[in-house]
Amino acid sequence: MLARIAHELFWLGRDLTRAEHTARTLDGVFHADIAGAPGERSISLSWDAVLTIIGGKPPIPGEDALEVATSVEARPLGRDETARLLTVDTDSQASIVSCVDRARERGRILRDVISTEMWEALNSFYLALGRYDLAAAMQTGPYSVYHEVKERCALFWGLVDRTMLRDDGRAFLEAGGRIEQADMMLRMLLVTVPGASAHDGHEAEAIALLHAVGGAQAYRRAVRDAPTVVPVVRFLLYDGSYPGSVASSVAALRDALSDADAQPRTSPPVLRLERLIAELELQRRTPEASAALDGILGRVQGELALIDRDIGDRYFAIAALAAIHL
Amino acid sequence: MMSTLGDGPLQDYEVPAGSRDELIGADGAPLPHAAKLLAALGRLGPERLEAAGRRRDTIFMQQGITFEVPTGDGERRDRAWPLDLVPRVLTAAEWTAIKRGLAQRIRALNAFVDDVYHAHEIVRAGIVPWSLVVSRPQFARPVHGVRPPGGVYCHVSGCDLVRGGDGRWRVLEDNVRTPSGISYVIENRLAMTRLMPELFEGQRIRAVDHYPSLLLDALRAVAPGVDGEATVVLWTPGPMNSAYFEHAFLARQMGIELVEAGDLVVRDAVCYMRTTSGLQRVHTIYRRLDDDFIDPLEFRPDSLLGVPGLVRAYRAGTVAIANAIGTGVADDKAVYHYVPEMIRFYLSEEPILENVPTYLLTDARLRKHVLERLDELVIKPTSESGGKGVFIGPQADAAQREHQTRLIEEQPERFIAQELVHLSTVPTEAGDGRLAPRHVDLRPFAVFGEEIRIVPGGLTRVALSPGSMIVNSSQGGGSKDTWVLDDGESVDLAPGTLPAQRPPRLPDVRYGGWHGQAQQQQQ
Repeated sequence: MLARIAHELFWLGRDLTRAEHTARTLDGVFHADIAGAPGERSISLSWDAVLTIIGGKPPIPGEDALEVATSVEARPLGRDETARLLTVDTDSQASIVSCVDRARERGRILRDVISTEMWEALNSFYLALGRYDLAAAMQTGPYSVYHEVKERCALFWGLVDRTMLRDDGRAFLEAGGRIEQADMMLRMLLVTVPGASAHDGHEAEAIALLHAVGGAQAYRRAVRDAPTVVPVVRFLLYDGSYPGSVASSVAALRDALSDADAQPRTSPPVLRLERLIAELELQRRTPEASAALDGILGRVQGELALIDRDIGDRYFAIAALAAIHL
Repeated sequence: MMSTLGDGPLQDYEVPAGSRDELIGADGAPLPHAAKLLAALGRLGPERLEAAGRRRDTIFMQQGITFEVPTGDGERRDRAWPLDLVPRVLTAAEWTAIKRGLAQRIRALNAFVDDVYHAHEIVRAGIVPWSLVVSRPQFARPVHGVRPPGGVYCHVSGCDLVRGGDGRWRVLEDNVRTPSGISYVIENRLAMTRLMPELFEGQRIRAVDHYPSLLLDALRAVAPGVDGEATVVLWTPGPMNSAYFEHAFLARQMGIELVEAGDLVVRDAVCYMRTTSGLQRVHTIYRRLDDDFIDPLEFRPDSLLGVPGLVRAYRAGTVAIANAIGTGVADDKAVYHYVPEMIRFYLSEEPILENVPTYLLTDARLRKHVLERLDELVIKPTSESGGKGVFIGPQADAAQREHQTRLIEEQPERFIAQELVHLSTVPTEAGDGRLAPRHVDLRPFAVFGEEIRIVPGGLTRVALSPGSMIVNSSQGGGSKDTWVLDDGESVDLAPGTLPAQRPPRLPDVRYGGWHGQAQQQQQ
């Protein structure tokens, strides 16, 4: 298939998954902020942390990129500012509205590739967010906004399952969704569990983290240990039966790329993925290794960035070249 | 008394005579612990309160948090769970007293159950008559001499508390069989944080959502000796049960199987469940049905909901049942009368929480006295729950009083009489976004595993019609989120004292786009 189209599909998957993940995180942090008990904090679900996870940049007076870094240091944003920036702010690339805008724009480009029903789901998602009085909804209770975002994303992926041909395009769409899922989960864990090994503290905070990724119930059914930091992080990293875990996402990413690649056995991203999957499996089977969760999180994230680069090099670079020369 | 808040949400707020309001003082001004809440409600205004009410109904209908009400034409219809949007606020000090009082009471009740099925010490000491104990319908002969692991019988309990005009908390009723309502406590809190986040502003309220963890820990702690992980199940009578929502809620939150009678089987005095991979041993059963129904071989032979042989397995000690069989004897209304004495007898302590003054009608002198004051007292049948057959003197007419007198004279042992408590009131949304006082009670939930743990607050039920003191949801009652403020000794409230953790630096998020220039030329 065309490299340009594959790239669009890949990023359509990423944008939608990012929107969903952002909605879940914000909803979870809102709840933790209101209902959370103070006390020993081994997981920090703060508004500052959310900004780092989602990668939002506070608005800056000048356009100079250098100022971004300094203004972050200067003043941490409060709840309302952060939530607005990451939900409704059309100037912020990281906001949910921007993600959906981009996804819909890609959908428009891809109308011949994706099914009509998928396009309509994307378009009505976009229109629904425009129809909403988002600022008012954020004030009365952002829950309804995030609920809508989660539902619309699920609708899209459901339609992919039911109506899209299982071809290369589908594989790249899927790959985009999965790599984003793994990436966002890792960012979440890296930020919220600094030094997870240090102390295995408060249950309420670990439960809040599970809620913020939508995995509380799955954890309860899959794991018998009380939800404290280490078992929760291990679950979100390694548990292959939970679709949101890093291990699941990475395995699905490998499957999707193997489907799309004519020669998966010589494909650098696929080979890297195989190695990462084996590493995660090894870690899962050696519970003693949980002492060094920090290091593992960082390593997996680094590896995932390399895979991302490899995917770009192998499949999309050829089209990027044309774009540069235009 | 009139509110001094002028045209705020508390305009024309008048507390009924004899009752005390929990949030508004006698001078009409908010009490200190409720000041922030009422200020937030004032800022919100009636319109936004009403709008939140509409969103609440939508969310509850969508989540299936409903209960059935009979309509005029005999049909039953689902209605959204009636959560009032004004929370009830308790201070940390108040809660500490309640918590200690409840823990004390539950320890005494647990000791009583143990005593009833073993040594009968309290009977021999002449405090509780044996004839009263054995005549209770909940007295369970088949478990005589059986002591469950850890000596815990009342793993789960929910005592109903009321607050009278004098401001003191009293226990109205003990529930140590299968008290329900905890799921609504958790759902209420969740809904409140979603619907009214601005009310929580600037306050720390103790969390309630750890209850399922507490319960699961307790259920695992009492499992009979196992090498690996204990298998815990929740046993429901079935989807037609009115509390099925709660059964499913708890099973989901604890991640355990929700079983019906047909899923369980006893072989050679060991209990199993039928799974796709054959029979699997069950160690602890959290059952949500009464003793009468659990085993047709020992209790009601016509029970279709029971598991034959379960009591045998229980006696053999291969399975733990929570609450233990036979605990019903401790929450009988005639036994209730003796609970303060039990606390003195078993614990050598003075009761922290008092009873509502109660009269046993088997005493001829007391009976005469009660019948004379029938228009002031409340008469309750013993061995009943859920407000069935309750007679409220001040609200009864002559014919009803006559009928009740006849019933009492025929079977005095079937009834008790209680002084009427003027339930406290809490501001409640009265339909148009305005607040009015409504009567409330409180059911806190306790879990007894290795120790007694009580979830902060509990279920506040509120009578939604003016002046009514009937809080049952089947009779037009609603519920409130119950806040226990975290203003206690051990908690540091000063903002900013949390170590400000700076999140670690992460690589920038990528955005996929590289053909921007070409797009412009396409136009």
